[in-house]
Amino acid sequence: MKPKVIVGVLAIVGFTSLLMYNFGNSISAYTTFETATEIEGNVHVVGKWVKEKPSGFSDKSMQFSFFMEDESGNMMRVMYPKPKPNNFDQATQLVVIGKMKNGVFYANDMLMKCPSKYNDANMADFEPAEHNT
Amino acid sequence: MTLGILGEILVILSFAAAIASFGGYLYVAKTLDYEKEKWFSRLYTSTIFFLVAASGILIYLLATHQFQYYYVYNYTSTDLAFRYLISAYYGGQEGSFMLWILISAVVGVGLIKWTDKEYRPMVMAVMAGTQMFLLSMIAGIPIGDGVTLGASPFRTLVEAMPDVPIFQTNPNFIPADGKGLNDLLKSPWMMIHPPILFVGFSMMTVPYAFAMAALWTRKYNEWIKPAFPWVLGANLCLLTAIFLGGYWAYVTLSFGGYWAWDPVENASLVPWLIGVAGIHMMLIQRKHNSAQRSAIFLALLSYVAIVYETFLTRSGILGDASVHSFVDLGLYNQLVLFMAVMVLGGVALYIYRYKDLPRNEKEFSVLSKEWWIFWGATMVGILGLVIIVGTSSPILGKLFQANPTPPEISFYNNWSLPLAVIIAIMTVMGQFLWWKKINDSEQLASELLKPIVLTAVATLATVIIGEVRNIPYMLVIFAGYFAVFGNGFIFFSIVKKKPKATGGTVTHFGFGLLLVGIIASSAYNSYMLDEQTKAYNAAVKAGNITDENGVQVMDEVDMIRIEKGTPTVVNDKFRITYNGFHIDDKNRPGEQIYNITIMNLDSGSGVDLNPVVYPMLQSSSMDHINWAVDPDVYTGMFYDLYLYVAGSKYVNDKNAELQRARTQGMSTSNIALQDETDPHAGHDHANTDEIDQTLGFTKGDSKTIKEFTLTFEDFVQVAEEEKPANTFVAVKARFKVENAETNQTEYVEPMFAVVEENGERVRHAHSAYIESFDLTIRFSNVVPMSDQIEIQVYQGDQQVGGTANQTQIGQQEPDWVLLIAEKKPFVSVVWLGTFMIMAGFSIAIYRRWAEEKQREQRLKSA
Repeated sequence: MKPKVIVGVLAIVGFTSLLMYNFGNSISAYTTFETATEIEGNVHVVGKWVKEKPSGFSDKSMQFSFFMEDESGNMMRVMYPKPKPNNFDQATQLVVIGKMKNGVFYANDMLMKCPSKYNDANMADFEPAEHNT
Repeated sequence: MTLGILGEILVILSFAAAIASFGGYLYVAKTLDYEKEKWFSRLYTSTIFFLVAASGILIYLLATHQFQYYYVYNYTSTDLAFRYLISAYYGGQEGSFMLWILISAVVGVGLIKWTDKEYRPMVMAVMAGTQMFLLSMIAGIPIGDGVTLGASPFRTLVEAMPDVPIFQTNPNFIPADGKGLNDLLKSPWMMIHPPILFVGFSMMTVPYAFAMAALWTRKYNEWIKPAFPWVLGANLCLLTAIFLGGYWAYVTLSFGGYWAWDPVENASLVPWLIGVAGIHMMLIQRKHNSAQRSAIFLALLSYVAIVYETFLTRSGILGDASVHSFVDLGLYNQLVLFMAVMVLGGVALYIYRYKDLPRNEKEFSVLSKEWWIFWGATMVGILGLVIIVGTSSPILGKLFQANPTPPEISFYNNWSLPLAVIIAIMTVMGQFLWWKKINDSEQLASELLKPIVLTAVATLATVIIGEVRNIPYMLVIFAGYFAVFGNGFIFFSIVKKKPKATGGTVTHFGFGLLLVGIIASSAYNSYMLDEQTKAYNAAVKAGNITDENGVQVMDEVDMIRIEKGTPTVVNDKFRITYNGFHIDDKNRPGEQIYNITIMNLDSGSGVDLNPVVYPMLQSSSMDHINWAVDPDVYTGMFYDLYLYVAGSKYVNDKNAELQRARTQGMSTSNIALQDETDPHAGHDHANTDEIDQTLGFTKGDSKTIKEFTLTFEDFVQVAEEEKPANTFVAVKARFKVENAETNQTEYVEPMFAVVEENGERVRHAHSAYIESFDLTIRFSNVVPMSDQIEIQVYQGDQQVGGTANQTQIGQQEPDWVLLIAEKKPFVSVVWLGTFMIMAGFSIAIYRRWAEEKQREQRLKSA
């Protein structure tokens, strides 16, 4: 084989490996609080808001704090440095992105999965409950 | 025959015509039976009429609020402005597919007219084939067992949701109102963004079609000329659509940027990048008669990228990964099939003809323009590849994790910035070698001297003035300036002699500007904070702050709290003043418009910004008001000021009011919009923007307001005749009111009732008026599970008395807002760069169009 072809193939292989390696490192899994304690760097934890526990935005520390239960049943306090996000109360599922430190999860981002309005209809959609004039 | 059924029939007719013309054109491509081709062309053309009619029907249904149709119900409501009723046509997947198909049909008819007969059958076969697949997405043909082929925009609610209980009892039920359009999408930018995007997608089909035709007919050179303007046009449209989307995100969403590497954004960027790479390969083929394989490959790849990205965004596979991924319509399998056919069809034909493809064995020398253009285009293609890898994380990520998340943003930045640097430098090299006769490397170096010197000076100046300490950023700035100055020099050297040929130069110039703008606005973006917050953040960083629960606070604060009447200095240079807010129901009900002034203390000039907070009634409910924000942006030459309201006293009070009402099982429907009005009072005290000053009493309590002492003596039963209709519960409260000045005592018994209205419980607060004191006591609430009541007191028309809950009488918490304010340097350069790229494309398109016109003239006169 011509040397150029060999160099070319090596370059492609090298580049692809580097790309996939970097890519693999930059993604994480949707996981639990337990894994969050073990992993360095940002983690995505999926779970639900625990309504019964206290939650609220503190004017002094400018943090929104609440309790979340992940998919393996562990409940942890989560701190979020912005006011309570808009769809928070109605979210059927939460994803908090951040790090675990000293038994508290510090989220720098939060995604809310809202009840799907477009797939199969909910009974609620057809109740004349909302008088939004 | 309802309109909906007619619409479905029209779509199915188009589908049938597409299938027939697809098969027909393939037949003609094989047999070269051009006589029969006329019929297939007519069939293809007929789809335009069917689609226009079907689109007209859909728009009519939307405009006349026919909520028995699922599409109308889902995306519109009776209060939606007319222009959004029209744009709702492409607001959902089904409709947007239909628009795409319609535009594609028009493009196809143009091709029938303009394409040489040798290529035409295969080109049209491809066009018809893509129409076939796209139409299958909206055909809505039942194929047994409750499954339909595609999702029809004309399907009725009953068809779409047969299991909803209300249809069991009343199959003819039509909802009184639809779900309405998400407030964020009610924007002129979002109105034009989709149509332009679909024009881009439709145009990008053409190079694919020509490449396939070239492979099929084994005529590998003649296709470049006719296909070239289509790639240029497609890229211009895609870029415009991308710009509109980015600008919309910047001024509407609160993430404060114009690009988030969201899958939907990447979906239009990647085909654009591949289109750019393809354009350059096609240029090489024209000038140098080489790179035929690359040109064909990239032409095929651009459309494949579009189909792939369509699959990612519409199949639901990105579900959790993107905040704005579209609704899953169950089209997964069809989209996979579409992709498979486009990819395999192209691959198969390409491999089949591989040996036949001309190969220019002459290597490009490093000192040739072809070398730089070829490898520059390759870099652009690689950038597209990197972005596709990241965007495909739900699929590719499975190699690494069971449940993969999207990649961190740093992944995209770490790859795209170095690639952009390389590309920027290569544009200059390519342009110099293209336009100047350069024989050796010394000559090249001497030509490049002036631009390099200017670049170095500009970079140094920027680094010093902008206090740039980050070395990678310096490199990007250098590369950006190099592209600006290098291409700028070339522009001035050719603009007099060949102005129409400056398209490429202008585009590259714009790209350089864009790079510099991106670094300035993203890397040097800063939150505007006051000294107090900065000190707090420093303490947080040192680990000294814990919150009320003893938990350590780790995150710094980006927000500032400004009280009305207390201007605050931020970033040592600006003074922010909160002037108050007012409520304006005209735009949206319950919308608060806040007035904030930001004054530049150095220059003395100030800007007035009006960020908005409004309740999203569509997604609010009985338990919860969903507040949305509309940022306001000051666009300046040197920096933008970006502002939104993250919280305010008014919003807090409204939420508290709702919570109070909830705990009593009372109606909460109007709280977001206004305070309650008392329909039975002699005096109507409905205040829409004043905060309630409610006084709480338990039996026996006395409170003093001004000269009056009010004592709540006891509850009094209400006689049947006095109760309003449909009363659930009613009670009176007897108050003794003593006037210390006149020594008079009066008794009043205002009534409070809870009444059933339309299946809901509504509070009715009645007032009692003491004429001699000109005092009104309004019995506004009974706190359940307690013996506490709440009243409001008015002297004349003025409300008097203390504030809600435990604050003392007469004291009022000052109005405040929580703001997120950002200073974003040189966003203007980002827009300028983008516009220059668009201008460059336009010049190139104009040039090709002019050349074509000239060619036609010559042919006519010959």
